[in-house]
Amino acid sequence: MNIQFKKGVLELCTVALLAKKNRYGYELVNEISKSISISEGTIYPLLRRLKNDGYVTTYLEESKEGAPRKYYQLTADGKKMEKELKEEWKTFIGKVNIFLKGGVKDE
Amino acid sequence: MNKKEFLNSLTKYLRGIPGDEEQDIISDFEEHFEMGKKEGRTEENIAGSLGNPKALANQLKANIMADRAEKETTAANITRAVFASLGLGFFNLIFILGPFLGIAGVLVGLFAAAVGITAGGITGLLGTIFAPLFPEYFNLIVNPAVGIFASIGLICFGVLFFIGVMYLARALFRLFIRYIKFNARIVVGRERRDEV
Repeated sequence: MNIQFKKGVLELCTVALLAKKNRYGYELVNEISKSISISEGTIYPLLRRLKNDGYVTTYLEESKEGAPRKYYQLTADGKKMEKELKEEWKTFIGKVNIFLKGGVKDE
Repeated sequence: MNKKEFLNSLTKYLRGIPGDEEQDIISDFEEHFEMGKKEGRTEENIAGSLGNPKALANQLKANIMADRAEKETTAANITRAVFASLGLGFFNLIFILGPFLGIAGVLVGLFAAAVGITAGGITGLLGTIFAPLFPEYFNLIVNPAVGIFASIGLICFGVLFFIGVMYLARALFRLFIRYIKFNARIVVGRERRDEV
């Protein structure tokens, strides 16, 4: 898939996943790379930026297998951003689809 | 590349960022390796799908340096942010270094003008005061009172001009840092396709 497409949607996919439940980094990567092939490391700079901008917070939680994991959680700002981004995306692909279906009438 | 090599390479290219940030980043990736190994993957396999550690480090570093320059807008921090963002790709020689040198050049020019105006005022003042003592060297064409007031005016104008340029510099660099952050978000090194 086109590289710019992927980079653009990675942020949306990440916040959309976090909107459903809190997850740790590896889990996020796993979920996303199931359907989109990405350089998996890219998620970490993205998560740090989201944290710095106040869209997510992190907390450590012990796991059954031993080492604690770092979980990511959307803040109120993050939830708001997720909704806006999702709406923008829907509007955008809606419009693109019109072109793809050739449904634009000549004026 | 195994886990150790990957983390070493990451650390190497992160050099220059604050120690706690570095620790935090390394532990994120350590966690990632541990999770992967629990799923039965090899270190080589995990490192391979994480991507190029140099590209990752450059991206992380550019973000960290830009954040730092935004919080503390000092010349040193701005320079660091500019250099970190150059690591994001050849493109940034034009898109970051170019405008940076342009802005810096204009500001240096304005500062020099401010200093020049102030120096002119000071010279004028001293000249007017000392002219009567050395009549063989000086030939005042204006009334000494006018000379003194004009010189003081010039000094004041120079100092105000200098302060104004300082504010302008700060505002311009703030804007520029935001541009660097924006750039770090969208730039993808075109020459390294595996970098996404």
